[in-house]
Amino acid sequence: MKKGVVRYSLAMMILAGTLAGCSQGNGQGTGDMQNTSGTQGGTSAQSGEGTIKIAVAAPMTGDNSEYGIGFSNAAKLMADQWNAQGGVLGKQIKIVPYDDKNTSEEATTIAQKIVSDGDISGVIGHFSSGVCMTAAPIYEENKIIEISPSASHPDYSKIGSYIYRNNTIISKEGAAALDIAVNDLGKHNIGIISIMTDWGTNTSGIIKDQIAALNDPNVKVVAHEEVMEGSDDYTPAITKLNQAGADVVICAGMYNLVAPVAKQYKNINPDIAIVGFSNAYSQQLIQLGGEAVEGVCFPVVFFSESDNPDVKEYVDTFTQTYGSAPSALTSQAYDSVGVLLTALKEAGTTDSEAVSEKLNTISYEGVTGNIKFDEQGDVDKQFNKVTIEDGKFVKMN
Amino acid sequence: MITQQIFNGLALGMGYALIAVGYSLIFGILRLVNFSHGSVYAFGAQMAMIFIGLRFGIIPGLIASMLLTGVLGVTIDKLALEPLRKKKSIPIASLITTIGISNIVTNLLIVFFGSEKRAFPALFDFGTLQFGSIVISATQIGMCAVSLVLMLVLVGIVFYTKIGLAMRAAQQNPVAANLMGINVNFVVSFTFFLSGISAAIAGSLVGSYYQIVYPNMGFMAGLKAFAAAVLGGIGSLPGAIIGGLIVGVSESMAATVLGSTYRDSMAFIILLIVLIVRPNGLFGKKGITKV
Repeated sequence: MKKGVVRYSLAMMILAGTLAGCSQGNGQGTGDMQNTSGTQGGTSAQSGEGTIKIAVAAPMTGDNSEYGIGFSNAAKLMADQWNAQGGVLGKQIKIVPYDDKNTSEEATTIAQKIVSDGDISGVIGHFSSGVCMTAAPIYEENKIIEISPSASHPDYSKIGSYIYRNNTIISKEGAAALDIAVNDLGKHNIGIISIMTDWGTNTSGIIKDQIAALNDPNVKVVAHEEVMEGSDDYTPAITKLNQAGADVVICAGMYNLVAPVAKQYKNINPDIAIVGFSNAYSQQLIQLGGEAVEGVCFPVVFFSESDNPDVKEYVDTFTQTYGSAPSALTSQAYDSVGVLLTALKEAGTTDSEAVSEKLNTISYEGVTGNIKFDEQGDVDKQFNKVTIEDGKFVKMN
Repeated sequence: MITQQIFNGLALGMGYALIAVGYSLIFGILRLVNFSHGSVYAFGAQMAMIFIGLRFGIIPGLIASMLLTGVLGVTIDKLALEPLRKKKSIPIASLITTIGISNIVTNLLIVFFGSEKRAFPALFDFGTLQFGSIVISATQIGMCAVSLVLMLVLVGIVFYTKIGLAMRAAQQNPVAANLMGINVNFVVSFTFFLSGISAAIAGSLVGSYYQIVYPNMGFMAGLKAFAAAVLGGIGSLPGAIIGGLIVGVSESMAATVLGSTYRDSMAFIILLIVLIVRPNGLFGKKGITKV
């Protein structure tokens, strides 16, 4: 009798957990019977009549959680600033975070949740290009606006007219990185190290095409090494690059690639020059890389040490509220929310078609530069060239 | 270049060897593969980073993290594995429990410390030696020295002390050991304490070699070290070191010849081959079951 009771109650608990997971909880998947109002204070099930809801869909747990949490924090900062001035369309703004764990499967589930909620005015997300491109068709079909602060694959914004991105397309950024390597640093033997993801493979391919297009017999790719994201030991790949005679290495990876590569490469070749991309631009790079990342250069659209007073104010507020300086991608999320709210205000309605029309024509001055979406939904930005000197990011001259 | 790659592989292999020693220790005494060892290793590395960061000095920081990780090992045993032993459950229940514990510990680390990679101070910052075209860093030599010393200390404890005698007795026949006056539960907890200490040492050394720690660092490294322990003969401490070195060198060779994307699979290909060709590993003894 006792065994039966135990087994029955265990089965009921498992069933309850599964059902709770299916219901409209917030993206953290806490699996509670009651609709818990998650850690960031956004409930999606009940919507007060007086709130505008904006979803932030990004990895909140797992290896890339710092980016998702960064997006969510930036979004909240922007929302709080607008709310302090009365919100938008007379309503307060609520940021609803969703955790897509940076996988396509989870992203699809979240996209379905968002479109079936019916109350979400726009989505800021997702994080990596591959994941964005899986979720985008769902948003497009259901006319939900998606602005990605970090997708860089050229095909992303082509998915539809409701799909936008506030990030540079990798081909433009690649050209800027190449420009730094060849023209500013004056190096010709280019080694490429890239992570095995959609983005990494795409980026390294684009760089190679651009080098070929330069038509300069001196400038060539001496070696291209692909590494798994997340391994700590890159010495075999680095030894190969060094043997091939590379004098500059273009790192297609985030700071968790650039920092160890810089360390391990400088152990065998202290004179190597390293060029990265804007997704490596974050305070973590300096913390993790220490002395080894001195002299690493990259093209960025957001520069936290900029003299622009709006940028300064944003950086100070962000650092005060969250304890660390914002990175490039976080700031692009901040601007994405800003441009969305401005479009909502100017359209005067949350109807996606009207807002989308506004987004197509709006010109927004943000901390990451001027945002003006073209017909595809992409933005064109100016690049600053930044390098690391004495443990700080400074503009290259 | 090949010689440099071999040296890279040896350094990598030393890292696996340090972790593999923990697997062999627990298996040798409990006949249990402790899959939570990888996460305990990550815990040890994180704790070492925190204590050293608190500026108590490097040695006290390391000792504090070793003790704390040992306590974690004992906690895992007391909370999860001892109840299973009391109920005389089937051995596979303990194995599955350790897999679950591994997930719990890793995710608790992520919850409390965030998943970012953090910088770990270099403990052996004495520069590098150059032998012709081969560069060996002081950290690599340090790792080698510490692994050998750790292995000798553990072998000394297991084979030359009273408590080691108790451990071996408890492995051969727990009931008889109990009858002889050995507190088997205490001996098992002590084994987990030792394994936790070795995990913390491994975590600190590998952390200082790559100068990176993060909560998930135990996952891949733990699995590859398991393959290394099996290769060397699980249960044999010298075997763990040799197995680790072989896995490290093969991984480095695979990365050189086949490309970096194949390096992770190398350890598991070795595991498959060992289990098919010589399941006892290089130094393992065939277990004789007495009726």
